[in-house]
Amino acid sequence: MRDILKSNYHWVTLFVLVILVGLVDSNFWNVKSLLILIGDIVPLFIMALGLTFAIYIGGIDLSAQSMANMITVIASLYLASLGLWIVPMCFLVGAALGGLSGLITTRFLVPSFISTLAIGGVCYSLAQWLSGNRALYMDSEIRDALFGWMLSSTGIVPNTIFVGAAVFAGALLIERRSTLGRRLKAVGSAELAAVASGMRVSRIKVMAFALSGGLAALAGVIFAIKLSGGAPSIANGFLLPAIVAVLVGGTPLTGGVGGVVNTLVGTMIVAVIRSSMLYLEVEATHQQMVFGIVLIIAIVFTIDRSKLSIVK
Amino acid sequence: MFRNFDIKSLMPIIVLIVLVVFFTAINPNFFSLRNFARIAIAASPFLMVAIGVTFIIVMGSIDLSMEGTVSLSAVIFCFAFLYFGGTLASGGWIALFAAMCFGMFYGALNGFIHAKLLIPSFMSSLAMGFVGIGATVLLTGGGIVRIDDDVFRMLLTYRVQGFPLMVYVAAFFLIAGLLIQKKTILGRNLYAIGGAEDLASASGVPVLKTRIMAFALAGFYYSLAGILQVAKLGQAESVTGANLMFLSITAAVVGGVALWGAIGGVFNALIGVLIVTVINNGMVVIGLPDYIQDGVLGALVIVAVILSTNRSTVKFVK
Amino acid sequence: MLEFQNVSKEFGPVKALANINFKVAKGEIVGLVGENGAGKSTLMKIIFGAYQADSGIILIDGRKTRFSSPRDAMSKGIGMVFQEQSLIGNLSIMENLFLGREREFQKCGLIDFKKMAEASRYQLAKVGLDIDPYMETARLSFSQRQLIELAKVLALEERSSGDLVILLDEPTSVLSEDEVTLLFELVNNLRERAAFIFVSHRLDEVIRLSDRIYVLKDGELVDEVAREKAVASHIQSKMVGREIDTEYYKQDDRLPFAPSPPLLSVQNASVRGRFEKISLDLHAGEVLCLVGTEGSGREAVLRAVFGMHKIDNGRIVYFGNEFLKIRSPNAAVENDVGYMPRERKIEGIFASMNVAENITSCQLPAYARYGLLNKAMELGLADEWIKRLSVKTPSARTDCNRLSGGNQQKVVLAKWRSTGSKIIMLDHPTRGLDIGAKEDVYSMIREMSSAGIGLLLIPDTFEEAIGLGHNIVVIKDGRTVERFDCLKQKVTPFDLVSAMT
Repeated sequence: MRDILKSNYHWVTLFVLVILVGLVDSNFWNVKSLLILIGDIVPLFIMALGLTFAIYIGGIDLSAQSMANMITVIASLYLASLGLWIVPMCFLVGAALGGLSGLITTRFLVPSFISTLAIGGVCYSLAQWLSGNRALYMDSEIRDALFGWMLSSTGIVPNTIFVGAAVFAGALLIERRSTLGRRLKAVGSAELAAVASGMRVSRIKVMAFALSGGLAALAGVIFAIKLSGGAPSIANGFLLPAIVAVLVGGTPLTGGVGGVVNTLVGTMIVAVIRSSMLYLEVEATHQQMVFGIVLIIAIVFTIDRSKLSIVK
Repeated sequence: MFRNFDIKSLMPIIVLIVLVVFFTAINPNFFSLRNFARIAIAASPFLMVAIGVTFIIVMGSIDLSMEGTVSLSAVIFCFAFLYFGGTLASGGWIALFAAMCFGMFYGALNGFIHAKLLIPSFMSSLAMGFVGIGATVLLTGGGIVRIDDDVFRMLLTYRVQGFPLMVYVAAFFLIAGLLIQKKTILGRNLYAIGGAEDLASASGVPVLKTRIMAFALAGFYYSLAGILQVAKLGQAESVTGANLMFLSITAAVVGGVALWGAIGGVFNALIGVLIVTVINNGMVVIGLPDYIQDGVLGALVIVAVILSTNRSTVKFVK
Repeated sequence: MLEFQNVSKEFGPVKALANINFKVAKGEIVGLVGENGAGKSTLMKIIFGAYQADSGIILIDGRKTRFSSPRDAMSKGIGMVFQEQSLIGNLSIMENLFLGREREFQKCGLIDFKKMAEASRYQLAKVGLDIDPYMETARLSFSQRQLIELAKVLALEERSSGDLVILLDEPTSVLSEDEVTLLFELVNNLRERAAFIFVSHRLDEVIRLSDRIYVLKDGELVDEVAREKAVASHIQSKMVGREIDTEYYKQDDRLPFAPSPPLLSVQNASVRGRFEKISLDLHAGEVLCLVGTEGSGREAVLRAVFGMHKIDNGRIVYFGNEFLKIRSPNAAVENDVGYMPRERKIEGIFASMNVAENITSCQLPAYARYGLLNKAMELGLADEWIKRLSVKTPSARTDCNRLSGGNQQKVVLAKWRSTGSKIIMLDHPTRGLDIGAKEDVYSMIREMSSAGIGLLLIPDTFEEAIGLGHNIVVIKDGRTVERFDCLKQKVTPFDLVSAMT
């Protein structure tokens, strides 16, 4: 019983939170506003999905936010010339830079939090250079023609939710059904055992960071489309809730367990916390503090200390 | 201490000299007292942060909380300063102590969460940094707190030998940092822990206490950075510490502090800070847009980490 | 001065030490010998305060005491010179000597390094070392560092309440012959300052240095020999001396393997710092055991065959194919070489993955199409092997951290069996298993052998080697010292110990 509770505590947390918030704020149960709330959180959710892969193997990707920033700039600049191709192109750019972090980590044994931080610095610099350090706006006609559907709703369901669901399905397929997903799990579960099973661990880790980078880029594209523009720091404030979503969902920093379903639940928890803060009239900028504290609590409860002999 | 050095440890100094020569060759104005003063002013608060984080890196850990701690202690300093009359003479000096004490406290809290609750320091400190920035916004309401005390601003305006007072203040704490590193039990224990934590612990080094004290020390230095930032800009806000995380870690690592711990120290942080500031300043002097520097520094930090890693002793990294 | 009365220690159901009675007098050098797993390290850890005894009495100078931690033991005069050296390389000699005691040299909050250097010179003189205390220890030779370790322990005498008892754990393992002689002279000269407990697997050295020798076997002290009466062969027979139960190891099932060209041929291979000029042949159906002490290089041989260590000299020929080079574990697995590492929890099993996922972890492409896994096929394979090896698990979908150690080991074996590995290397496959589980592993080894798989085995005990192996190779300090053919001659544990020590 205790085990079941422990492995499902993210569901319990979500459930309890929903009940609590629902009791306090009677408007919370308005289905339409709930859906809008979920629709709004889709870019964050996609970034968190990417981060899940990096954390799943026991690493971290601190470049996700700068990546999304840079992609908003790239998307705004090249939407007119590339059209729909902007989406795969941005994904590839993100995957390439993410893969580069992974390569630096595995080839040169630079801890991932540093390599991704450094790649994040490169992204930030590129974003400033490409944008000339100012906010850019998309050609609204082209945007509406190509991506207008994303901003409207089907019935009462915002279409971004479908986008999020599609990406989620893809990530779930990778995690549960693909050989890559299985290998990621093996590396996160016991890296040395993966080596002893003949897995090419470096390649697998690079793939994890590439996925993380690619999905962060995808989050950037959607964010840019929503805002109809981009700027080098427009997505600041994404990283913290994204990490919180992954960890609160139950994928520990030590990796190996958890996964994208956990991140789905974690993102919901983040969404509920946000909505309750809105209700309590906590300003958006103050949420950082709350999420920082939530993050610490989440790590304390999820981390697998048997995997860490010395905590540095 | 000076008896054991090899050529590799001189690399950062050589890089610094090459950079100075390079920028001077392109624009002779670079090599002037005036420009040096400019570099020194830019480097002073930044150096305090780099020294603080160096103590942590030497121990084999990392601290990513500096942006939050610097901003928060700067804002607390300003509020306290205004509360005590708004001038140094009227009691504003109490604010100096308040800010330093706060920095120390916040650092200790950071260290406690990391060391006592067994959370990897990069995560606990990142979270604490976010909490710090959030708290700053909460205190200021997203606005700016100004200080216009001429006496306090003398840190920037009053010059001795061409350099403003704040440069001397930074130099004083640089020397203090060197002393702590080389001559105190805390400083030496940091190196013991960075060298081999299990052995240090078996020899009776109080690891938990040392870790918490190290983070408190780092927090103290961050608060100094906050105060110097206020002296430089005359104001504090939630972005007072912005970008310092990346820059200070880059500086420490580029200066020769090994990310694995135990190698390098305060002096390396100084060299690293000078390298970063000279690149920054030099780019402006030779007419390049300054936003390239983040990219250049990102590349530089990776190269420095690669060069400083002894790959034969590391099993795998995450 | 230090005395143990009826000291026992248990780890769960395993009795690590039983009724140990042990005494060290002032000025005495006492030897402690025993084969791997006899309880030497447990006993040392109890003396040093790293473990606490479950029952029994510890006396110092006739007074009852207990060591709650290494620090506590140190303050009561117990010092330990570790085999894995405990100096911190980036600190200077004097900082290492006084690590954790810097307060004694503090003046106005600062450390007085001049005073510390002076004190260091005094301590270093005790071990006859004239060396600059400002030097970093990473720059010293191994034997110099060992002397500094000794000096560090001797420095305890000025601050402990009683006289010193110093544990020397395998102090000679990395020293040259001359350095060993020097160390022994020094230890003899230090008799007035301290009593020594000398732990080593090199029996000749123990006899040379010790006044008395305790022999430990299966957690009990089985003999106490004075130096005058110490004969290597006698002590060795006490260290082993267990009847081999042929039934237990299924020796009757040990069939001679058919003569064939070797599956694996290691020819004069060396890996720098680990082993040198090792040669061995492994045939289909053969069980080849590598016997040696900890750190003799056995494990590295297995890792080299598996592509984890690069060979510096010589070569390894797989399946008679001279052109087949294996330079990574990945290549090894693709060429049907399997490896079951010793540290099951770290390198063997994926604890948070289920049984089926563990079994297919080295053959994923066979169960996937376009990169997508066929889970039905995977579970089918898992069910088959769960049945074949009678793995006790609720289902193939159960996470491995819920299985017992023996069943985890079966899962790892199933992994290699199911991929059709032709060479399987097993490093301590029965380590930490209970008797029933061990027997299961033995049966599986027999079964694999009769299926024509070549098995390279590092056994947990001598008895296992003799009971299971067709051939035994004894490795000492990275070199082959002796070979036994178990089908042609009757090998005893005594033979193995004599070759090893």
